[in-house]
Parts: sequence; structure tokens; C-alpha cells
Amino acid sequence: MSVLAATALDDVGSAAQRPRRSLNGWSIALFIYATAFYLFLYGPIAIIVLLSFNNSEVTGLPFRGATTHWYEVVFARPDLMSALFNSIALGFISAAIATAMAFFLGLSFRRDYVGQQLVLGLVLLPIILPGILGGIVLLIFFGYLGIRPGLYTTVLVAHVNWVLPFAFLTLNGRLQGLDRAVEEAAMDLGARTHQVMLRVVLPIIRPALVATLLFSFSLSFDEFIRTLFVMGYDRTVPVVLWSAIVDRLAPELPAMAVITILISTAGSLCGFAFAARASKRQA
Amino acid sequence: MSLAVRSAFRQRLAASGPGWALASPAVVWLIVFSVLPIGLMVAMSFWKSTIYGTRPDFIFDNYRRIFANSLYVNQLLSTLRIAVSATIISLLVSYPIALMLSRLKGAFRPGFLLLLFIPFWSSYVVRTFVWLPILGRNGAINQFLLWLGVVDQPLDFLLYNEGAVLLGLVYVFTLFMTLPIYVTLDKLDPALLEAANDLGARPLQAFARVIVPLSLPGVMSGSIMVFLLAVGVYVTPQLLGGPSGLMFGNIIAAQFLSDNNWAFGSALAVVMMVVVLSVILSAGRLVGLQQAFSGGHG
Repeated sequence: MSVLAATALDDVGSAAQRPRRSLNGWSIALFIYATAFYLFLYGPIAIIVLLSFNNSEVTGLPFRGATTHWYEVVFARPDLMSALFNSIALGFISAAIATAMAFFLGLSFRRDYVGQQLVLGLVLLPIILPGILGGIVLLIFFGYLGIRPGLYTTVLVAHVNWVLPFAFLTLNGRLQGLDRAVEEAAMDLGARTHQVMLRVVLPIIRPALVATLLFSFSLSFDEFIRTLFVMGYDRTVPVVLWSAIVDRLAPELPAMAVITILISTAGSLCGFAFAARASKRQA
Repeated sequence: MSLAVRSAFRQRLAASGPGWALASPAVVWLIVFSVLPIGLMVAMSFWKSTIYGTRPDFIFDNYRRIFANSLYVNQLLSTLRIAVSATIISLLVSYPIALMLSRLKGAFRPGFLLLLFIPFWSSYVVRTFVWLPILGRNGAINQFLLWLGVVDQPLDFLLYNEGAVLLGLVYVFTLFMTLPIYVTLDKLDPALLEAANDLGARPLQAFARVIVPLSLPGVMSGSIMVFLLAVGVYVTPQLLGGPSGLMFGNIIAAQFLSDNNWAFGSALAVVMMVVVLSVILSAGRLVGLQQAFSGGHG
């Protein structure tokens, strides 16, 4: 999702002043269709928000009066609170690892080297591989090596695998857009390689790095299918949600859903804001 | 290879050191945690699983079992059919939205783009789950129809079938179609439409002969993305599909999560991987791979 977000950002800055020809009848039809489409996107979410306040033991309508009881139930569930902590910690650690590797990889793509295309293919591999296979290959791998599943071992690896290509694609665009002349100027003025990196490249690229971290965090926070196969005793939020859905339709599920939607949206919105700043700076 | 080419290559090789050094953390990570595990899975598909565990071997029994039994072949075909249908429906649903977004003026455009993104930032487990209290027996649609008096018994056919799976897939993945199409439409030079108009083309003709052909790269990369995501899906059929709506991913998962037949599961997974890779490679000949994955923007 992060790449898509970065792609759309360019428009946030530049869309304003392009006059376009309108085709009246068609435009109206398009507008009506678009309204229906956005209702399709938001309708189900609106219903879940409504149900999360429904004073009923059964998830569903009719609406039997408003209550915040289900939110209290959610916050009183120890398994959910520890899953929330697990997901947030794991999200930041895997985002940091993936962003660091993506940063150096992006820097390497500013040079020409033998095997570059192969490296590109390698980075895209975790996106090409269907998610379920991404989980299964790690289950087999760690199982064969006799490594016990754990949050900061097997699950962390699964998350970094998944996040890395997106972190790379988000960051790479910004790194390739960075003018080489700036670095060369610093070199000419006598800066050493590490000085160029710390005092020139990093400050310029910082907003893009923060944006990549936040997008990576929200990708990891929402990851489910790979986690399902390699998790141990410590569970993440989507896994707890999943078992609550599959075991029985727990009445507090809508409230749980609303809380996770809020966290993912907040993380991504911050990432979006930082990415917008990064693209404005470079423009 | 001529001498000049060879020495140029040697020079490139000599100059490759810093590039490789920078790439090495990611490359080592991906070789250890992606390439090796995939290799092990391919190897295991020739092993043998018994109740005592999975032992190294070199037998073709797992593959024979897949292709001798029409159950698995049919399941694979129906999974491909569902993935293709989800792709086509997403295309039809997304294209007008992409067109509308590319025509929006001023501050509306970033606003509507953001509105398009926000739902997709939430976990697809959640976004699949939301359909249960909508389509279910006590769900919103049934309650609404009962209240209207259109039906006097809740409808049972809304959930747990292939249609519900398709709805769930389109809901969860359609952004991956909308965005690449939007990006290609946005890059389209308005002068081309003016030219078509000046040359006497009606709006529909301009659409069919100018807009659609020029947006094909976006359509291609969107279709690849949605197909890939849909073909390997597990959550949607598990929650919305019921017994008739199960897909290949669910059968593979069952070998590992409940049946404990890793060798057979590996063979099924290899079959899926081969199908997916051949689709990608044949599509990749039409559009560059990186382009496909960066929303038609790379």
C-alpha cells in the first residue's frame, strides 16, 4: 500500500492547476457512479462502527440502543492488550530493520553494478510470492532447522520479508530523485563519504525515511497470513481478531475492529503527511 | 564475446564493489529467508510425510496424487476462475473511478484520493470480517429487507458462497486496480483529447480510441496485482466462502495447519507457485515488472 500511497502523493502537490475539458452528461454519470463507489467503500465500515456501539449480545442489527460496553470489554481483555503491545513493538522493529536495509539497497541502486537486475528481482520476490506461500516456506524452513516459533524470531523474519519490498519501492523513488550534484559538491568541498552521508544525504532524505518507517509499521501491524503460520505463543492483533472471528462471533468484535482500524489509519495518515512533506521538499 | 565487450564487463565488475556492499544486507537477508526457504519447500515436495513426520526422499507420489485426483485439479481451476473474475470485476468497478479522479479539479482530487486510500489502510482481516454482520442471517441487509417487508424470512444465500467471496475480494483489493489506472490516465496529455475532439470524434469515440488504449499499461499492472493477490487468498474464502467457496490456498493451508502432511502441502504450494510465476512471467513480457509493482509509475 505504501508504494501506492507514494505514487498518489505526487498528485497531491501538482493536481491543482491543470485545466481539463469536461464532458457534461458523462461527467454527471461518473459523479453518480463515484458516489455509489465511495458508499461501497465506507458503508461497511460505517455499519461496523454502528454495531460496535450496539447494546446487543448478538453481533448484528437491529440496533438496541447505544453503549460503550463493548469497548470496555475489549480493553479489559488481557490477551488483546498484550497482542496490541506485541503488534506495536513488532511493527516498529520490523519497520526499522526493513527501512535500514531498503535505504542501503536504494543507495546501491544509485550506482551501476553487475547483477543489479537480479537484485531487483530478488527484492520483488516477497511481493510476487502469494502471502500464504510466504508463510508456509518459513514454517517449513524454521521447522526443518528446529527453531521454535516466536514473536521476535520467526514472526519478525516473516514481517521483514513482507515489508522490505514496499519499503524499498517507497524509498527508492526518493533516493533516485536526489540530485547527485549535491553529493558531488560536498565531496568537492572536502567532505568524506560518511560525512556526505550523515550531513547531506540523511537530512535531505529524512522525511522520506520517516514516511517509509510509518508505512512499514502499518503494513506490519496489519499483516496476518504470514504470521498465522509462524507464530508461537505470543500473538498479534490480527491473529487475535481472527481467532475471535473463527472460534465464535464474539459480541465485542466490532469494537475490536474499530480500534484496529483507528490505529492503522492513524499510522498511515502520519506516514502520508511525512511523505507529502518529503515530496514537497524535493519538488 | 568480443575482447572490448569483455574488458568493459570486467571494468563494470571491478567497479561493482561499493554497489554490492550497499546491497548486501538486503541481499543476504532475502537469500537466507526467502530463496533458501523456497528451495527447501520445492525439495520437500518430493519428500514423504507419514504419521512419524516428514522424511527426505525423492518420490513423485505427492504430484501424482494432485494430478490423479480431479478434486485438486478442479479446485485449482475454480480458484483461477475466481481470481480472474475478481480481476475483471475490479477492473470494471475501478476504471470509472480512475477516470473520474483523473478529471477532478483543484483541491477535490487530493481529497478524493485520500478518501480512496483510508479504508485500504486497515487490515484485510477486518475488512473481510465487516461483511459477516452485513450479509449474515442477522445481518444488516436481512434486517433491512425484513423491516421493509420485502421478505418474511432472512435470506440465507447472501453468505457462504462464491459470490460472497468475489464481493469480499473486490472490496479488499480494488485499490490495486484503481491506482495504476489512475496514474496512467493522469499522465495522459489533454491535448490528445482536444485533438480527437477537433478531428470530429464524439466523446465515446475519443474514450474508446484514445483514452482506453493509452491506459492499457495501467490496466495491465492493476490486473496483475489483483490476480496475484486474489489467487493466493486464504482469509476471504475461509470467512465468506463456506464449503462451496473454498479456494486452493485453503487446501494448502489445511495440509500444514490441520492435516500435518507437509510433503503433500509443499507439492500443492509448488503447483500454485508455478501457476503464479507463469502468469507473472507472461504478463511481465508485456509490462516491466517493477512498473507493475509500483503502480504503473516506475
